[in-house]
Amino acid sequence: MKILVVEDEIELLTTVSNYLTKEKYICELAENFQKAKKKLSINEYDIILLDITLPDGDGIDLLQTIRKNNIRAGVIILSAKNSLDDKITGLDFGADDYMTKPFQLSELNSRIKAILRRHKFGGDSTLHFNEISITTDSKTVKINNKEIVLTKKEYDMLLYFIINKNRVLTKEAIAEHLWNDNIDLSDNFDFIYTHLNNIRRKIKSKGGNDYIKTIYGMGYKFTDQ
Amino acid sequence: MKFLTKINHQYIWTLGILLIIVSVVGFFVLKNIILNEIKEDIFEKEYAIINEIRTQNNTPNIFPIIETKKISENEIEKKSYKNISLRDEAENEQEPYLEYTNTVKINNQYYLIKLRHSLLESNDLIMAISLPLLLLLVLSLSVLFFTTKRMNKTIWKDFEDNLKFIENFSFDNLDNIKLKQTDIEEFNRLNKTVSKLTEKLQNDYKLLKEFTENASHELQTPITIISLNLEEILQQDLAETVFKQIVSTQNAVKRLSNLNKNLLLLTKIKNRQYSTEKQIVVNKFVEEKIEEFQTLSKNKNINISLISESDFVLKMNTDLVEILLNNLISNSIKHNIENGEISINITENKLQICNTGKENSLTNNNIFNRFTKENSQSYGLGLSIVKQICDTHNLKIEYLKTREHCFIISDKK
Repeated sequence: MKILVVEDEIELLTTVSNYLTKEKYICELAENFQKAKKKLSINEYDIILLDITLPDGDGIDLLQTIRKNNIRAGVIILSAKNSLDDKITGLDFGADDYMTKPFQLSELNSRIKAILRRHKFGGDSTLHFNEISITTDSKTVKINNKEIVLTKKEYDMLLYFIINKNRVLTKEAIAEHLWNDNIDLSDNFDFIYTHLNNIRRKIKSKGGNDYIKTIYGMGYKFTDQ
Repeated sequence: MKFLTKINHQYIWTLGILLIIVSVVGFFVLKNIILNEIKEDIFEKEYAIINEIRTQNNTPNIFPIIETKKISENEIEKKSYKNISLRDEAENEQEPYLEYTNTVKINNQYYLIKLRHSLLESNDLIMAISLPLLLLLVLSLSVLFFTTKRMNKTIWKDFEDNLKFIENFSFDNLDNIKLKQTDIEEFNRLNKTVSKLTEKLQNDYKLLKEFTENASHELQTPITIISLNLEEILQQDLAETVFKQIVSTQNAVKRLSNLNKNLLLLTKIKNRQYSTEKQIVVNKFVEEKIEEFQTLSKNKNINISLISESDFVLKMNTDLVEILLNNLISNSIKHNIENGEISINITENKLQICNTGKENSLTNNNIFNRFTKENSQSYGLGLSIVKQICDTHNLKIEYLKTREHCFIISDKK
């Protein structure tokens, strides 16, 4: 999977690209409008991460060129602006998703994966992790080919874990992913624990393993290592 | 008070006082002149009488104006004037007279002469003076009244029109203010100054707005870098203490970012930058929010009850309604107790959210102030944002503490 990251802040660019490379994406970088435009005319990308405030141009213009030239890439806007108006403009011009800074890498990954699923896999949108398989079209989860029934939040949580497998996820990051809002949840992490226990119980009931590791009581990691 | 009314008041006062002074002075001057005339007349008469006595040895008597009689030496009266009143038979009323008394010695015989002259009644005098003056006052005032009325429609019209332009001036409207030219120098000077001032204000306002927004946005980038790096560090094998330190740093960064976002939000609401407004039925939004917060409320085993008596319709930006309800409902959960209650009541022009909670955790006075907070985990901006939204939308927000904590938003209309 090829990703183009357009972002004028070099440090941000490197951090994001290092992470994406580690996650087995092929990553190309553009730190300004002109470079991004040039790269888009030469190469094809699956995903474009686009900062809309660039020093030498408006990211929205870039988005328009992408859509005009029918480039079939998924576009995620990375913006420092947290206003609905910008979000709507972005999505109107054909962006697939909109993320406000600061964002989490695990969240970014999960959004990228969601777009890839929508764009490419079509009917065969199944994720596997050992004995667990998730079909995202029908939102069904099977353990050793036996279906388990999860609530919406439990499903979202398991999917988030599997997409970010082997990564430490803090309670805050999980809460933000599930409720994607600025709601101050800091003293309400118990429900994460409740959801987690439900997932564990349901997987176990069909003979699955418990892959959710608790880390120092502050975070979790989905791993078989 | 209107400018012209003020001027009229001044005129009325000045004119009134002036007329009173003129009438008082006039009264005395006139009275004196008349008195002098009368005295002169009396002297002439006395002279004639003395002549009559000396030549004809005759003491003339005409009641009531002339009275002369021979007197002995011990009946001598000194020369004097006296105000008396006599009955006038013809008009059958008391009339004022000036009585002049003198004793003269003619051929070794004393004669007492009393001369009386009818005086003008004071009332008549006052009337004679004040009536024309009063007429003058009424006349000048009515002239004043009608001219001001006309001036209001002519000279002051352009001024009033311009004033309306200025009153309707808004910072959000980027058009420059356009004022009517008049043929009055002062008004044109004022127009010029106002135009210049608003232009400068608009520019400054725009710059400030841009600065606040840019500063706020620029802050998000370094915050993002910090947060991403912390997330990557967390992926390494870390000792528990280091891990916890990093998580707590990450949370602090998150708080910083939220604080920044909220301050920006507050500024934007204050600057009325949420201008796209729609008719909104609050009830629907509340239902959605209750649904959204269900996990949170269930977690504390809080029972939320909603009574919609009728639709509460507001003209508002959807973003702001979301924020408003988010803040109020999340607050009512956050500051609630285990197994608590939240009751939401919506009527045609009122939204009331009540929740059980700790005693005395809030005070009326500073509850809506920025950075008033119950614990260090919250930012203390939530209610301030709620207040700001209400203030800019002509809504009233009240906090009532009964057995429960209640927030009531009502339409001011």
